Amino acid sequence: MTESATPEEHDMQSAEYVLRLLEPSEEAAFEAALARDPVLRGRVLTWVQHFAQMNHEFPERAPRAAVKKALIARLFGEPAPRRPWWQALWLWQGVSLAALALAAFLGVQSLVGPDPGVGYVSHLAGEAGAPQILAVYEPSDGSLRLTRVEGAARPGRVLELWAIQGDQPPQSLGVLPESAQATIALPDHLRAPEGLTLAISDEPVGGSTSGAPTGDVLALGTAHAL
Amino acid sequence: MALGDRVAFSRLYDATSAKLFGVCLRILNNRASAEDALQESFMKVWRNADRYRSNGMSPMTWLITIARNTAIDRLRRRRAAGSDDVIEHVADSAPTPEANAVARSEAERIVACLRELDDTRAAAVRGAYLEGLSYAELADKLSVPLNTVRTWLRRSLIALQACMQR
Repeated sequence: MTESATPEEHDMQSAEYVLRLLEPSEEAAFEAALARDPVLRGRVLTWVQHFAQMNHEFPERAPRAAVKKALIARLFGEPAPRRPWWQALWLWQGVSLAALALAAFLGVQSLVGPDPGVGYVSHLAGEAGAPQILAVYEPSDGSLRLTRVEGAARPGRVLELWAIQGDQPPQSLGVLPESAQATIALPDHLRAPEGLTLAISDEPVGGSTSGAPTGDVLALGTAHAL
Repeated sequence: MALGDRVAFSRLYDATSAKLFGVCLRILNNRASAEDALQESFMKVWRNADRYRSNGMSPMTWLITIARNTAIDRLRRRRAAGSDDVIEHVADSAPTPEANAVARSEAERIVACLRELDDTRAAAVRGAYLEGLSYAELADKLSVPLNTVRTWLRRSLIALQACMQR
């Protein structure tokens, strides 16, 4: 692309670049110009957003389940390594990446409605072999989406979720189902849960009857804004 | 690799793979090629996740842009190799009833602006964006000389730009 081209010429080339109509050699020259010209990058972004309004015309087609399996094997390897508790730092590295991807996911959802507010994520973990749970606060409906990624309740026992705010006594949020995924509504006063501690305790079937955890606390985590 | 990443990836995949696969399938018209393009797209997305915030696009627009470009790169390699990849069905780029409905709302401005263009010229823009057609393929599809299709398309883009800014 020549530096002396007119703004109109730049605009046309930007649109052709986004549509992928430039020849490979033109494309490479355009990308070189793009790297040093923020105005040109702005033109490209404008065209991306114009054409993106046609994106609803791309159909939705579910790929075969094997595709996801293959991808997860390529990205993460098989099987998942188990790490001892003293290597817990990796959890935080994990959550920061998870938070990013989930922010993208939540951002996708927020495109279809009014801005729902801020999401939060918390990774509940304890000693090796204990249950690990990823809790994501969904601001659009005030629920916590829980995914058990490791471990399970002991035989004949259940897992109960607690919220601990500052130095207040733990408040039960309910007993987790046996399934790996669960959705639990968060009471109004706990919404926007920055810094809220979530804990999982080991309880008899039906949950604690005393209003406080009676068994071991198996996993703990703090909620952070996405 | 952290388990949290697998969970996050799994959610991102579940939420977006059908749309991104639809993009790849529309452009490549071949299930096996589209599956390869989908995998390649998610590898790029996952490895560049830290870049998406700064580029000014919504997450879904960013994801679709990556999938579309990945599919078009494959389409170009197929063209260059003169490969005999089986074309399973040829999608046409006429507006769907859904698109017509959306066009009536103010939200989808480009659809309304495309309607102001002559049908053949609108088809050229749609063919380039939705099917990844090259100038040569557009000329072939619309039965006009290459230079004509280039001139048409550029005029259409000028008209679109003016319409979008109104």
